[in-house]
Amino acid sequence: MGTYEPIFSALGLRSWCESGEQSGGGPVSMADLLAQNAGTDAPAPSIWEMPFPSMDELHEACAAFPQSRVLTKGLEDGFLGIKDGLSLVLDPITQPLSWFLEGALWLFETTPWWIMIPALLAVVLVVSRSRKLTVFVGLCLLTFAFIDYYSFAAQTLAVIFVCAILCVVLGVPIGIAMARSDRLQRAIIPILDMLQTLPAFVYLIPLIFLFSVTEPKLYGIAIILYAIVPVIRLTDLGIRLVDPDVIEAADAFGMTDRQKLMKVQIPLALPNIMAGVNQTIMMSLSMVVIASLVSAPGLGVLVLRGIRNLELGVGLVSGLGIVVLAVILDRTTKLALARINAGQDR
Amino acid sequence: MTETKIAIRDLYKVFGPDPMTALKAVREDGLGKPELLERHGHVLGLENINVDAKAGEITVIMGLSGSGKSTLIRHVNRLIDPTAGEIVFDGRDILGCTPEELRRIRREQMSMVFQKFALLPHKTVAENAALALEVRGISRDEYLPEAEKWLDRVGLQGYGDSYPHQLSGGMQQRVGIARALTSNADVMLMDEAYSALDPLIRTDMQDLLLELQQELQKTILFITHDLDEALKLADHLVILKDGRIVQQDEPQTILLEPSDPYIVDFVSDINRARVLRVRTVMDKTTATDGVSIAGEIDQEENLETVIAMAEGDTRKTYLVKDGERKVGILRMDTLVKSLVPTEATDDGIRAR
Repeated sequence: MGTYEPIFSALGLRSWCESGEQSGGGPVSMADLLAQNAGTDAPAPSIWEMPFPSMDELHEACAAFPQSRVLTKGLEDGFLGIKDGLSLVLDPITQPLSWFLEGALWLFETTPWWIMIPALLAVVLVVSRSRKLTVFVGLCLLTFAFIDYYSFAAQTLAVIFVCAILCVVLGVPIGIAMARSDRLQRAIIPILDMLQTLPAFVYLIPLIFLFSVTEPKLYGIAIILYAIVPVIRLTDLGIRLVDPDVIEAADAFGMTDRQKLMKVQIPLALPNIMAGVNQTIMMSLSMVVIASLVSAPGLGVLVLRGIRNLELGVGLVSGLGIVVLAVILDRTTKLALARINAGQDR
Repeated sequence: MTETKIAIRDLYKVFGPDPMTALKAVREDGLGKPELLERHGHVLGLENINVDAKAGEITVIMGLSGSGKSTLIRHVNRLIDPTAGEIVFDGRDILGCTPEELRRIRREQMSMVFQKFALLPHKTVAENAALALEVRGISRDEYLPEAEKWLDRVGLQGYGDSYPHQLSGGMQQRVGIARALTSNADVMLMDEAYSALDPLIRTDMQDLLLELQQELQKTILFITHDLDEALKLADHLVILKDGRIVQQDEPQTILLEPSDPYIVDFVSDINRARVLRVRTVMDKTTATDGVSIAGEIDQEENLETVIAMAEGDTRKTYLVKDGERKVGILRMDTLVKSLVPTEATDDGIRAR
């Protein structure tokens, strides 16, 4: 029996423990089974082998004491308990995300390549104002098309476009609100820290419970939660870093809060906000690969196929394809950022 | 007698978590700045300030860093709220204004020039100059010509489409002044406007301000830590030390009758000939019998001009006139005596 049995006896909890034993206790662990099979009790342990009084160890001493698996089980049961109510609320709220993603995927897939590729190049040219980069992007896209990876790359791009835009639309106002209120900032920063450090796979588990795996919003939410952090952080930082002298001047000339925000704070914080957007795009790209586990389309599916079927070639080519997409997105946004920076170099 | 445009009355400012209690200690127990910091942990920013800024005059507030001068000027447009006291602007207490009224005053009646220029880096020079008009909601087509007009006036023709970072410090501050002028406000608050500029450019800008002032007759509150600058610009000079007014008067009076060892130290190495004017050192007599008059001078001339006119000859005597009227005579030897500097005090700031 357990090392800590005497303690329960001394506390006069014997009868409570035994009541636990009678009710059959929790599930039987492998260790219990092994011990039953061996049929022998271990010799009394020395002080060196005294185990930490953990939940499992105490359970051994007193059957009524809960095992540690009850904790995780309880969490799971609790989540399942509120699941229905939660998805009743979240489902309609997040439904537009599914529509956006479906719409974008439809757009990228049905538009013929000879319209899509020039259109993408035009966007790159407008954003970056660099002919060199546009030529590079053109070559990359044509290579994708030539080796029959174009549709996968287009799907990945579609998902990233939707998620990144939503990240900015949601993240910038949150960042602004944080910059204006120290209390809000203190409340939100731990959440951001958690979102940023939580292993990417962990996002998927509760989402699978909440939404059906066939719905695009499942991976959409995972990507947005993961990628929204930098744009919030850098918007907050950017607005807080705006020169207080300039803010004072804005006040002295009688600007309203709204004028100050639109005419001074956001324009001056723009380099930081754009840096956040760049990071957000990069992070959605990395998450879109992981999200292929829950049916996100695109190059990630091929990476997954490479791993599952040990198709080395497919895995490598699609992995490199993701790198190329990352380079394209990074260069384009960085050049846009550099342009903004040059505009307000002091 | 010109009317008072801005009157600052019994103004106190205490920085700290509980300013009202600390203020009580200052008023009732007469605590000074160091005692208040020691006993209550509060900083006494301004103590019993009373200043009248007359319409159309330049009121200069001078003090060393930490004397509270920048804090004081920020009370006038309420960038900082006082702990006690009132600020009367055109006959009404600014502290009673609603936020809406306050914004209107800041937009239309007061403009400000900053030490670090505080221009908007993402806007062109012309857009910066037009800030006050833009804030009022005036359309771009209307405000740009107005901004260009004032940019020309401060010597920045053709720079309207540049960005502030392309301009030198002196030029950036010209934009700052153009911005204040474009707002067409009666009152200009200048917070160490020239302190960040190098000496030659600073002299230029001082001349520019005096020239503009002759034409525009604004009410200017000017903050500086430089006595030469203060004496050159001031119609009315306020000397601030540790949040308290040490002396305020016409610059020449302060120079001739410093009321405090602190001021004596300040004025001891000033070029007195440049500040003092004929009317302050002349003999008020119209009897010119038996005196050989070497020439006529206006009573508002400074002594430097007279010395140059006499070519350094101390035996000459001049007839002083106010316009056409004779008001006195000026002997060159009297003039020289008035130039003897006041001794710096032994235990003053210089001795340390």
